[in-house]
Amino acid sequence: MNVTQDTTDKTTTLHAAGRLDFEASAGFQKEVEQVVAAATAGGKAVLIDCTALEYVSSAGLRVFLVAARAAKSASVPFAVYGLTPSVKEVFDVSGFSRIIDVLGDRASALAKTGG
Amino acid sequence: MPSARTGVSAQTANLGALQAFLASFWDDAGLPASGLFPFELALEEVFMNVVMHGQRADGPTGVDVSVTQEGALVTLVLRDDGPAFDPLGRATPDTDAAIEDRPIGGLGVHLVRTLMDAVSYRRDGEVNELSMTKSVE
Repeated sequence: MNVTQDTTDKTTTLHAAGRLDFEASAGFQKEVEQVVAAATAGGKAVLIDCTALEYVSSAGLRVFLVAARAAKSASVPFAVYGLTPSVKEVFDVSGFSRIIDVLGDRASALAKTGG
Repeated sequence: MPSARTGVSAQTANLGALQAFLASFWDDAGLPASGLFPFELALEEVFMNVVMHGQRADGPTGVDVSVTQEGALVTLVLRDDGPAFDPLGRATPDTDAAIEDRPIGGLGVHLVRTLMDAVSYRRDGEVNELSMTKSVE
């Protein structure tokens, strides 16, 4: 998997691409935790762009749960957007679509998080 | 009736080789790329369960993976020689729980059960056998 970041004055976005499997999940979790911590200090929202995320397993889902919890407890606005159909199905089946803000595209994710 | 099988020891480093094995079977059999995802997911979830919870006391558990296509039906079978364990015996996690109450684990088997058409477990002598079937059309 490949992850890039971009930051504006209100929002940090992680662009997640490729396969978020067991082996990729530890590194991704570290990166997400750093971004949430920095966003807490900087008063920013955090978005995860899943447009190019092809695969996620339960190990990868766990990272989204940990991130959403950390963001919630730090009052950092948090959303994911652009899920491919397979990834969306995994979010739906696991119930994550009900506890994490899942938006269709970047514009609606920015609107949701005040970016 | 195309089929393929491979065997590895239950170690995280072998997950990539198993996924490559599955993808190459999929291509060779001419199956639709759109149907691969739930099988990749099932392979990872079941294999990693064995890696993390199904090790033998005397060394790594061995895992035998086979995949078979019969028309639109694809069957993935994992057999391991670890201690007897029925992953389907676990309770379904509460997928309605609030964010603070969601357990971190337990989702993998739930995903496999939901995304596959049929999942069954049996203990065959000294082997755990988990069989998963889904129509790819």
